[in-house]
Amino acid sequence: MTDFPILTVTLLCPAAALLLTLLIPGRMDRLIKGVNALCALASLVLAIVIWIRFDRSVGGFQMTHDIPWVPSLGIHYTVAVDGAAVVLTLLTSLVFFTGVLSMWTLKERVKEYFAFMAALVFGVFGVFLSLDLFAFFFFYELAVLPMYPLIAIWGSTRKEYSAMKLTLFLMAGSVLLFPGLIALFVRSGGDTWNIIALAESGAFSRQFQIFVYPFIYIGFGVLAGMFPFHGWSPTGHVAAPTAVSMLHAGVLMKLGAFGIFRVAITCLPEGAAYWAPTFATLATIGIVYGAFVAMRQTDFKYIIGFSSVSHMGIVLLGLNVYAASNGASDIARDGAIFQMFAHGIMTALFFSAVGFIYDQTHDRDIRHFGGLASQVPVASSMFIVAALCGMGVPGFASFWAELLVFIAALQTYPVLGVCAIVGLIFTAAYVMRVLSTAMFGPRNPDWDHLVDVGAWLVTPRVILVAVLLLFGFYPTLILDMIRSVGAGGGP
Amino acid sequence: MNHSLIALVCVASPLIAFVVALVGFRRRHGIAAGIVLTSGVASLVAAAALLLTAHPEAQAFTSRWFVIGDVSIEFGVLLDGRTLIMGAVVALVTLCIQIYSLSYMADDPGRGRFFAFLALFEWSMLSFVFSANLLQTFIFWELIGLSSFLLIGFWYEKPSAVAAAKKAFIMTRIGDVGLFIGLILLFRATGTLDVMEIGRIFEPQGQPSSIPPGQIELIALMLFIGVIGKSAQFPLHTWLPDAMEGPTPVSALLHSATMVAAGIFLVARFHELFLDAPTTMRVMLGIATFTALLAATMAMVAKDMKRVLAYSSISQLGFMLIGLSAGSLFAGYFHLTTHAFFKALLFLCAGAYIHGCGTNDMIAMGRAGVARMRITTIGLVVGGAALAGIPPLAGFFSKEQIIGTLDGSGLFYTIIRIGVYAAAFLTAYYSFRMIFLITRPNADSLAVEDEPAHAQHAGSDHSAGHDPAEPWVMCGPIILLTLGAIGVGFLGGRIAALLGIEHAHAPTLAEMAPAVGIALLGVALAWFEFGRTGARQAGFVASFPPVQTLFEKRWYIDEFYQRVFVRPVVWFAKLCYGTETRALDGAADKLARGVVRAGGETARRHIGRLQLYIGAAVASVAVLVFYLAME
Repeated sequence: MTDFPILTVTLLCPAAALLLTLLIPGRMDRLIKGVNALCALASLVLAIVIWIRFDRSVGGFQMTHDIPWVPSLGIHYTVAVDGAAVVLTLLTSLVFFTGVLSMWTLKERVKEYFAFMAALVFGVFGVFLSLDLFAFFFFYELAVLPMYPLIAIWGSTRKEYSAMKLTLFLMAGSVLLFPGLIALFVRSGGDTWNIIALAESGAFSRQFQIFVYPFIYIGFGVLAGMFPFHGWSPTGHVAAPTAVSMLHAGVLMKLGAFGIFRVAITCLPEGAAYWAPTFATLATIGIVYGAFVAMRQTDFKYIIGFSSVSHMGIVLLGLNVYAASNGASDIARDGAIFQMFAHGIMTALFFSAVGFIYDQTHDRDIRHFGGLASQVPVASSMFIVAALCGMGVPGFASFWAELLVFIAALQTYPVLGVCAIVGLIFTAAYVMRVLSTAMFGPRNPDWDHLVDVGAWLVTPRVILVAVLLLFGFYPTLILDMIRSVGAGGGP
Repeated sequence: MNHSLIALVCVASPLIAFVVALVGFRRRHGIAAGIVLTSGVASLVAAAALLLTAHPEAQAFTSRWFVIGDVSIEFGVLLDGRTLIMGAVVALVTLCIQIYSLSYMADDPGRGRFFAFLALFEWSMLSFVFSANLLQTFIFWELIGLSSFLLIGFWYEKPSAVAAAKKAFIMTRIGDVGLFIGLILLFRATGTLDVMEIGRIFEPQGQPSSIPPGQIELIALMLFIGVIGKSAQFPLHTWLPDAMEGPTPVSALLHSATMVAAGIFLVARFHELFLDAPTTMRVMLGIATFTALLAATMAMVAKDMKRVLAYSSISQLGFMLIGLSAGSLFAGYFHLTTHAFFKALLFLCAGAYIHGCGTNDMIAMGRAGVARMRITTIGLVVGGAALAGIPPLAGFFSKEQIIGTLDGSGLFYTIIRIGVYAAAFLTAYYSFRMIFLITRPNADSLAVEDEPAHAQHAGSDHSAGHDPAEPWVMCGPIILLTLGAIGVGFLGGRIAALLGIEHAHAPTLAEMAPAVGIALLGVALAWFEFGRTGARQAGFVASFPPVQTLFEKRWYIDEFYQRVFVRPVVWFAKLCYGTETRALDGAADKLARGVVRAGGETARRHIGRLQLYIGAAVASVAVLVFYLAME
């Protein structure tokens, strides 16, 4: 059992889903959905097993599985998890599983849709599990690519434009990223891509770090929705179909933040500390700016899109505070990773609730709704729960995440910390605006015919709510896991 | 049974009731109400048992919830005088309101949810009061905000209720930001989250040497910002009158003993700390006095009974803060206790009248003859007189204590004293204006009804449409609170003992004279203008129309905020939106189009100048190599 390559098997779950989907004839769409649901469930179960088997008292990287890939270039397929990766693997499998269930009613080109989605998830798992920089980048690009067809084919509202915009932004990010990663490889002597080995090689002078860090940070930052390169993200959310929005905001944006954490800060700590004030300021601007733009938006998905910019700003602020402390501020790191998880679940819930309403109404303008809470009480409750979580109400996971980031930020950058905390007021303002316009208020009789979420479709949403509450009431489950990052040595 | 178990029953039963009622019986209203009432009784019995068997020493029962780094997060209950009295008062008032709601909300299609929310609120409030840990304090402070949002906005299809709930949430959240920062600073200064430990650090005479005085002032100020928001003090008081859009039982619960009292309780809880921040205490004293006076002027012209009570709550909260910030824990805390009874009573009376005659307008109520509702009217008179500070009712003793604490000298204290006397005078005046308008109606007077009787019966408003009968479930709580409003004032000695304070001497006649005199003066004026036969029923401010308008418009503070804060925020949001769509997105789009165009151009010029391409490629590689060589 000890040699069972559990990480590789987890990674293969979406790959299997992809293969089987391609093999099954397109007209058997129920079978395709079933197979995808099964594979997603398998990955969820495995993610939980990984969680349980991970030895928190030892920490560090565990369950390593290493196969040489291109030995002449020092490229290996190396998968291993530390606490942060365990948390994000669970997030991915949760969003994958609930995302598949949320798309149960899809009728149009089912086969292609699930194939692309499985490919995307395959890439995402790869990024979270890889310890080899080359494989990391490979999976990273693999995760980003399917977004174009997924949005351009199954999307809505200027879908070609949004898909193209997203692809161009992310490619621009990769263009910055790629030379940066190659520079790391070359500078370290050119015989390993292993992230830990690179970090410990000691080959990166301070000056080199300061020069290369922004390339990697901004390159990853584009995907994390960093201000001012976030423009692709809300547009992409709006155009994407429900499950893609869920994956996109729930998981894909985390790849960028995870890249910053795993690659940029780990390999270039001095560069990270040097640039931390600048990027922390940008992150804080993102928090406040995202909230203000959300206040003006009238499209459900745009509002959630900009709320993501704001919430990812909290992640980035946490990471920069962590970087500024040269890795001493555990609180900031814990908060940032916790926030990645909490935000992932929360946005997935948001989009799944909105998607449910949109599927029936084909309208997302909050002004066209009113009193949804009485028309579709269950769907509305889901939305309200996500909204409360977004406001950082205690009892939900993101309360703890935000609390930790803010405490750390107040210590390191008091001014930015206060600005970010004051941003909570504006967060409350835009969230309350959506709730009072669309969920509450006089009901709009046009939508009296809406059908509420049924017993089957409610399952994925209930899972997400349960996770938010579980970690809201017992945050130590996840904090212990993340904290073990600092303990222990390499693989 | 030991204390920790009883405390657990007290705090946890509302939570269980909330979950069970909301998840299981949202649509089976009777069962939901039954579950919530049972939990209310359990909490009250437990709180009373704790109070009656109070240990002379403070006790804390905590259990470790989890550990972050080297900080262990404990959750639990702290049992000392301050928490025990408040806990019992909260449980009692909540139970009264739950019973009352059985009748008041009887026809509401969502009352299962209503009772569940009441239980959620009670859980948040009790856990806040008994909190033994700063983090617990903050968490439940926030949950109080959330559950009051849910209760104020309970009739969520009514736009005004939704707007009021939203306003309450956002305004109190502004304060929460201050509290949040204050608690973090406090934790960093003391290195502990333990409430008892913090009390011990600040307890000895003089400021603790380990913390710089400036920092104590800053912490106190930040905590006070939270108090301003929650306890509706100037300048964040504007949400409270609007919150009257919620069901009347909610107003009775939130604005008497619980939600707004949380802010005052926070000051009482950390009173040792506040005492070490003299400058902040002076600021608090100034703001509290100003608020007490400001809100009283609004109350003296309002016609909507619930609004009068809302303004009065703001004003009385100001009184409590005056007592606390003048340095007397007992005075402020005592008034907090007595106010809980008589204000909850007055709100329940208002609810009964509104239920009976379908209007909020006191003039219309009086003319519709609601005074016939005997028990309610007795409650109104007792509650109003207690509010006015007429001996020997509850409000008299506590207000007398507050006035007695203002013995400082100097210009500042003189101004404060004048302000407090004026506010006390106006309190008596508007209380009796309310009583007289209802009990001594005069159809021929100058008073104009804004909302005729039964106006609410026509609409779909759930709160109206009943004959003016007095069902026992509504009378029971009113009778109970009436007795409280009469009797609690005599418990001053007990309360002081529980707070661990040598009972402030029994006041002598000479000391009582100013407080009584002022109250009687206010009553006399109200009698002259509203009560006596043939009274004009127009207040003295009506002779000065601009002043009357100023008071009626609440000093134009809402309009001022609209102009100075809301509009700029909206404008800034527009600016950000413009930046986003035009500048950032626009630039990206332009860049993309430019690239496409450049591609087209290049394609047209792509005529095979190989030398140029190679030259360019070599040049860029050279630049890179040069850089790497420089390293």
